[in-house]
Amino acid sequence: MILKRPLVVPLLVIAACKSPTPAEQMDSVISWLGTAGMVGDAWLRHTTPDKYTRQTLELSHDTLLQIADDLLKSPPSGIDTASLDSVLTRSRGRVAQMARLVEAKDAPGFSTQLDSLRADQKIVKRFSDGIESRQ
Amino acid sequence: MSKALQIALGIITSIGGFLEIGSVVTAAQAGAAFGYQLLWAILLGVLCLIFLVEMSGRLAAVSKHTIVDAMRERFGFPFFSIVLLGIVLVAFLVLVAELGGIGLSLQILTGIGFPWWAIPVSFGVWALMWKGTFSLIENGASLLGLFTIAFVVAAVKLHPDGASTAHGLLPTFPGEDKAKYGFTAVSILGASISPYLMYFYSSGAIEDEWDESYIPINRFIATFGMSFGGLLSMAVLVAAALALQPKGIDVDKFEQAALLMTTALPKWGFYLFGIAMLFACLGAALEISLAIAYFFAQGLGWNWSENLQPSKDARFSFVYTIIIFLAAIPLVMGVDPIKVTLMGMALTAATLPLAIVPFLFLMNDPIYLGEHRNGWISNSVVAIVILISFVLAVVSIPLQVLGS
Repeated sequence: MILKRPLVVPLLVIAACKSPTPAEQMDSVISWLGTAGMVGDAWLRHTTPDKYTRQTLELSHDTLLQIADDLLKSPPSGIDTASLDSVLTRSRGRVAQMARLVEAKDAPGFSTQLDSLRADQKIVKRFSDGIESRQ
Repeated sequence: MSKALQIALGIITSIGGFLEIGSVVTAAQAGAAFGYQLLWAILLGVLCLIFLVEMSGRLAAVSKHTIVDAMRERFGFPFFSIVLLGIVLVAFLVLVAELGGIGLSLQILTGIGFPWWAIPVSFGVWALMWKGTFSLIENGASLLGLFTIAFVVAAVKLHPDGASTAHGLLPTFPGEDKAKYGFTAVSILGASISPYLMYFYSSGAIEDEWDESYIPINRFIATFGMSFGGLLSMAVLVAAALALQPKGIDVDKFEQAALLMTTALPKWGFYLFGIAMLFACLGAALEISLAIAYFFAQGLGWNWSENLQPSKDARFSFVYTIIIFLAAIPLVMGVDPIKVTLMGMALTAATLPLAIVPFLFLMNDPIYLGEHRNGWISNSVVAIVILISFVLAVVSIPLQVLGS
């Protein structure tokens, strides 16, 4: 009995673990889009190496994909899910494209994608503010 | 060596050896998520650390005992074995995090994933332990750690607002994300008040043959070395608050932390971050490996000294050999060092009473300290900070687990 209690308590805690809220997921999306933007800026200034830049963009893409999957499985109420899905898919595509452009060392093309990513970021921020105000 | 030079060297090595992956990641997370709001946690942790480090040196200088020696002698083996188990488990997690920190630094600098670095890094750390002397580990690694001063340069170049910074030194409650705020505060306290540092410091005092004439030197080194070290942690938090928070970037991965200095120091910031973290984590990995080996050897009555040939203290050398290679296993398997770091720091805070309460009893024992035993100020400051850390840990760790 004495031995059982220390085993049961952590199991209950683990079992009770819940998924992040939609607002927290949107914060993560903004964080990873911001990361992609910041690393993109640094690469254009030639201050980060190609490999690190590409790997960080790929990591941003993969994490964004995972968050979007989780978010859209149980979408927040009162939000235009199709538009949200569309902007998340588009911005993820831009991040993936930026990773490829690093490999091709195509700075002008990269700069164009980065500007578009910033525009998408603003749209995502509006969705995030909307979700937070509903909570 | 003159005493002034010893003080200067002691302070410089304390500064160079202060930052490690735990203090950098927790401070960067705090700055990115809460701005200056958690500066008070660093201040509190550093204040407590100054007292604890001073006590560790004083105990060694006066009683000629390390903390572990005295703990086992004073409380007996059964109690000591409980402390040993708790402290070594947490220190092992921190060692995994530091080796991972070296691997992650090499990953961002070379592009080769950190799991590939786990074995070469572990072997390198082990070789330095096997071949090196105590002063090489204490001074060499810490001097290289002075690269971390770049964080202060970055923070200053970002022009932090004085009034907001000062306001952050006073505890405030957050409007939202209370669990995350509490967990981050606990992690900062755990990263600042690392018991392994006390064991390393008191063993170092014995290795360097301190006597009572070293009490003033010890006080200077503890006060100024730890204070300046704390400023480095605060600089990381300030840099994150100014460079990452406005862009909404949280520090969940090392790749995000690597952007910390690219705004303030556009040309060299990225590389300085990688090099500073490489040396900071290397110094910490050496100190923790040594602290774990000291803990076993001193507690079990074996021969021990980093200045002896391994053949002269075989069991001591065996412990750090095994522990370093065991710590490489989770990293080879790809376990995220940042997650290990955060859990390690929070558990350090949760287990602080186990390490500190017996130590406070020792520091008040006239048999060991005579007239140099603790006064009420030292006892009160340490007891209050440990209590705060423990309560915060007990409350916020389950909340954070439930929330994520």
